[in-house]
Amino acid sequence: MIDKLMNTAVFKWIDDRSNIGSIIREHVTEYPTPRNLNYMWNFGSLAITVLVLQILTGIFLAMYYKPSAAMTIGGYTVAFDSVERIMRDVNFGWLIRYMHAVGASAFFVVVYMHMGRGLYYGSYKNPRELLWIIGVVILLIMQGAAFFGYLLPWGQMSFWGAVVITNLFGAIPVLGDFIGQLLVGGFAVGDPTLNRFFSLHYLFPLLLAAIVGGHIHALHVVHSNNPEGIDIDHDKETIPFHPYYTIKDAFGVCVFLLAYCYFVFYNPSAGGYFIEVDNYVPANNLQTPAHIAPVWYLTPWYTILRSFESKLLGVIMMGASLAILFVLPFLDRSKVRSARYRPVYRQMVILFFVAVLTLGYCGHASATPVLKVVGQIATAVYFGFFLLLPFVHKFEKTKPEPEGI
Amino acid sequence: MADQPDQSRRNFLYVASAGLGGIAAGAVAVPFIGSMLPAADTLAASKTEFDISTVAEGQLVVIQWQGKPVFVVNRTADMLERTKGHEDNLKDPNSEAIDAVQAGWMDTPEKRTLRAIKPEYLIVVASCTHLGCIPLFKPTAGQKDWGESVPSDWPGGWHCPCHGSFYDLSARVMNGSPAPFNLYVMPYKYTSDSTVLIG
Ligand code: HEM
Ligand code: FES
Repeated sequence: MIDKLMNTAVFKWIDDRSNIGSIIREHVTEYPTPRNLNYMWNFGSLAITVLVLQILTGIFLAMYYKPSAAMTIGGYTVAFDSVERIMRDVNFGWLIRYMHAVGASAFFVVVYMHMGRGLYYGSYKNPRELLWIIGVVILLIMQGAAFFGYLLPWGQMSFWGAVVITNLFGAIPVLGDFIGQLLVGGFAVGDPTLNRFFSLHYLFPLLLAAIVGGHIHALHVVHSNNPEGIDIDHDKETIPFHPYYTIKDAFGVCVFLLAYCYFVFYNPSAGGYFIEVDNYVPANNLQTPAHIAPVWYLTPWYTILRSFESKLLGVIMMGASLAILFVLPFLDRSKVRSARYRPVYRQMVILFFVAVLTLGYCGHASATPVLKVVGQIATAVYFGFFLLLPFVHKFEKTKPEPEGI
Repeated sequence: MADQPDQSRRNFLYVASAGLGGIAAGAVAVPFIGSMLPAADTLAASKTEFDISTVAEGQLVVIQWQGKPVFVVNRTADMLERTKGHEDNLKDPNSEAIDAVQAGWMDTPEKRTLRAIKPEYLIVVASCTHLGCIPLFKPTAGQKDWGESVPSDWPGGWHCPCHGSFYDLSARVMNGSPAPFNLYVMPYKYTSDSTVLIG
């Protein structure tokens, strides 16, 4: 079908003036892809799917959403009421909002799987270091976008989440107060904060779209890794992306949409995990909810923050836990990529996944003394993984890698 | 030699134009970043008047100043008594750590520990100095009313629900809390016997 399209006169006319045909051939239809990729390689195309969904639903929400903390006659705020209006009165508003709210969580599920794949199969290693680093930039911008977006409904969790996170920056020595003021735009989180968060919430996903372009460009320079983690023969061991992987990715998208639709139509709040219960209560700046926690996808980092007695140290370690991802490619000195052939690394990376899940759980539950210790242990394991990496190749006996795939 | 470019002149021009370009870019950034700082009308709405005689003995009232919550407590003699005796358990018993926890009128040791102009009326910013949540008022001593949420030697005070900071009845932070400082005091003065002007 694509061939037919590319043979039409209109396409030829455009191609003569833009060279679009060779771009499509090089990056899509004839792009050489390892023939042994497993389903873990589906999450990249899924991430693009969700990004498109978020941008699309977001643009339509923005047609009705009003970023104002001014009080209404009903005693709520303009922003809170506009979201309720989207839910009740706007045609299909409920659908678009739930697609957007569920999409935010889905985005993180997909991207965390995508990153876990990279960790397990050593995709971050030479020559794909830059590809991994761009990915970490994408993660940070996503977290920013989600944080800004979560303020917009102006519910209790929106409000107090923003209070806590903007106060985090206050801990930075010297510049802290200044940065806090830039974020908040006043003495406390309020109307100016909401306006600028909306502006940035619109901007960040568009930035993402551009950076994802760079991510794919970098991928197509160094090519995909594969489950064996070995360099492959580009003539004999690859198959063209189309139709083999277009169809496999399309299948993945179908499975994903099935799960997505279940949540959108039957369980949009996911029991408080996707939309927290307290966020149906309008923001009240004079009362903190009894239990505040970020949405699930930010809880691992929140636990690291809480694991330290000193505020400054907590903030530094939380920053470090993300920043250390940037240098991961240079910490790992082993020549072997895939965990399939690295027995010690395999144990380590699985333990690391367990630690992240544990951190996530602890950050969501209310802090009890026991959970605090559990969180501290998981924090230690998280950092221990990175600190041990530079030395593993010295004693790890790797298994022989296959000749080809 | 005549058509050989003068390299040092070129380098000078490169550096000079890049430098001036950088300064220009910095100058352009000033209004943009400046626009994100609090606007004039936000800064203007910064004083609040409050009649403290409306606060009953032992009662806590939360009012707003600059969009921030403020605690006003009318401390009973018993509550004032319970601000003493646990100095070892406080990070900063005399409120000296940073400017925000003290004020010009704290000119006697007593005012430094009670943190109030009139001893019974404690007026402090209600944002936990950790990450800004509003601490819960748990004024009675011991665990009788509060269960395990407070330590067994609890003298009464505030407990922050977010990450578990504790403050005593003078809003001084206790050891082991993630919050680094006592609750902040803001500028206020009495304009009559029962009216305070905050800001
Ligand atoms: C990276 C992609 C994006 C992510 C992760 C994201 C995330 C979020 C989140 C978590 C919320 C709060 C949902 C709720 O509880 O109701 C939200 C709300 C909102 N977002 Fe996005 N968003 C993204 C892209 C966009 C884009 C491109 C727009 C377009 C302008 C947009 C417009 C809005 C609007 C108007 C709201 C407020 C309405 C509401 O709360 O449902 N978003 N977003
Ligand atoms: S905000 Fe009060 S303890 Fe963290």
